[in-house]
Amino acid sequence: MKRVFFCLAILALTVSLSGCGAGSNPTSGGGDQNATAEIFAMDTVMKLTACGEGGEEAVIAATSAIQKLDRALDRTDPNSEVSAINAEAGTAVAVSNQVLSLVRAALEYGSATGGAFDITVAPVMDAWGFTSEEKQVPSQETLHQLLPLVDSGLLSAGGGTVTLAEGQAMDLGGIAKGYASDCAEEALRQAGVADGVIWLGGNVYVQGSSPDGDPWQIGIQDPLGDDSFALLQLTDAYAITSGGYQRYFEQDGKTYHHIIDPATGYPADSGLISVTVVADANGPDRSPDGYCLPGSGTMCDAFSTALFVMGEALAIDFWRNGGYAFDMVLVTDDGRVLVTGGLAGNFQGNEALDYTYEVIR
Amino acid sequence: MKSSVKLTPTRWDALVAAVILLLALVCGGGYWVHTLSAGDVLTAVVSVDGRATDRVSLNALSGTETRSYSNNGYTVSVAFSAGAVRVVESDCPNQDCVHTGAVSGAGRSIVCLPARISIQLTGSAVSGGPDVIIG
Repeated sequence: MKRVFFCLAILALTVSLSGCGAGSNPTSGGGDQNATAEIFAMDTVMKLTACGEGGEEAVIAATSAIQKLDRALDRTDPNSEVSAINAEAGTAVAVSNQVLSLVRAALEYGSATGGAFDITVAPVMDAWGFTSEEKQVPSQETLHQLLPLVDSGLLSAGGGTVTLAEGQAMDLGGIAKGYASDCAEEALRQAGVADGVIWLGGNVYVQGSSPDGDPWQIGIQDPLGDDSFALLQLTDAYAITSGGYQRYFEQDGKTYHHIIDPATGYPADSGLISVTVVADANGPDRSPDGYCLPGSGTMCDAFSTALFVMGEALAIDFWRNGGYAFDMVLVTDDGRVLVTGGLAGNFQGNEALDYTYEVIR
Repeated sequence: MKSSVKLTPTRWDALVAAVILLLALVCGGGYWVHTLSAGDVLTAVVSVDGRATDRVSLNALSGTETRSYSNNGYTVSVAFSAGAVRVVESDCPNQDCVHTGAVSGAGRSIVCLPARISIQLTGSAVSGGPDVIIG
């Protein structure tokens, strides 16, 4: 009887592995037996797919990590760590090492981008109503009062605590999904999974190769239409896009998107309409006390927002001289697509669309 | 010390091995057929709270078919047509799903966060298309 059970176990494994063979596309419906989970978290829908041995373990671990993170970072949840920091602005608030490491990463990227990315923009976001159901254009007087609070230099993070200046509030939404993808990569690696896709709305992390053995094909949505304006061929990489074309509202015939320029308090109007930042995978990257460390996913998320705010010239200068290893795809409002040299060999523009494509060196 | 049991193959072992091989071939073959058909048919998969609740084959539609889905206190009306899908109406507050407009092509999706409803297009008649779409 034991032999029969043993053989059935082998059979189950055979069936499982057959579901991850050639042709099993995790997002095009073929891979019914891939380990896949679709979850709603961090104000978006996420689809996590891991293929082969360890896949189920990886997806369960990644889902759990993301949901735990969501509970810690959601500033609309009064029980989250970020809510505690905001509620006690002006005093030092003890936080977990994980949240502390993420806040410190946010401060680093904010400083590196000259404040184009700033987690203390939260009071201005609230004035616009982007975290509520009632969006509105705030008065200039309101913005004038709030803008001095948008200053990460007033925030301190260290010694197990985070301290905001009085009146300040933080919003980690600009890097939370990127960090979640870092944690998902760590879950895949801990489980020994070779191939997988972590799709978090506008963000993706791809590991290994696609089911046909080639690099993963990542389409980037045309900010002006329904199609993809480009295809990226990637493996073991993050690709994160920021644009103002999906989350917006209209008032008095004018459109206002959700990416706020911390310097003006208004939606960024830099001439860029889509920014995609690409960086290599982290590899195993876990803290001594067991949480995933902020890595390339976090960086790509912060930089995609920051570069969208900075505009073409500053973004290119930052790519060349900023001291960080990444590539990018910029779409300008005059119909140009700019691709940095590191991606040129993995990039395919959609010639059916009216864009011109340029490589930046 | 307990001595190990000597395992000698019997006819029953051969029978079990044959059954396993047969089932594995059947499963693998079934899967192969399944992926071929899934790859050819553009299908809209509607998920509510992360669970697939409806599938609409878009290739087979000759006109527009509208279906409504309710969850979490909101109702979303979805129009399915040959090769495309769009949310035509939603009583959710942010209207992001309506703003997304019509989507076509495997990998594209529409999400209504307040209703926790997603519509994802799977399968494709076009080879070489993206595995995922970001943006």
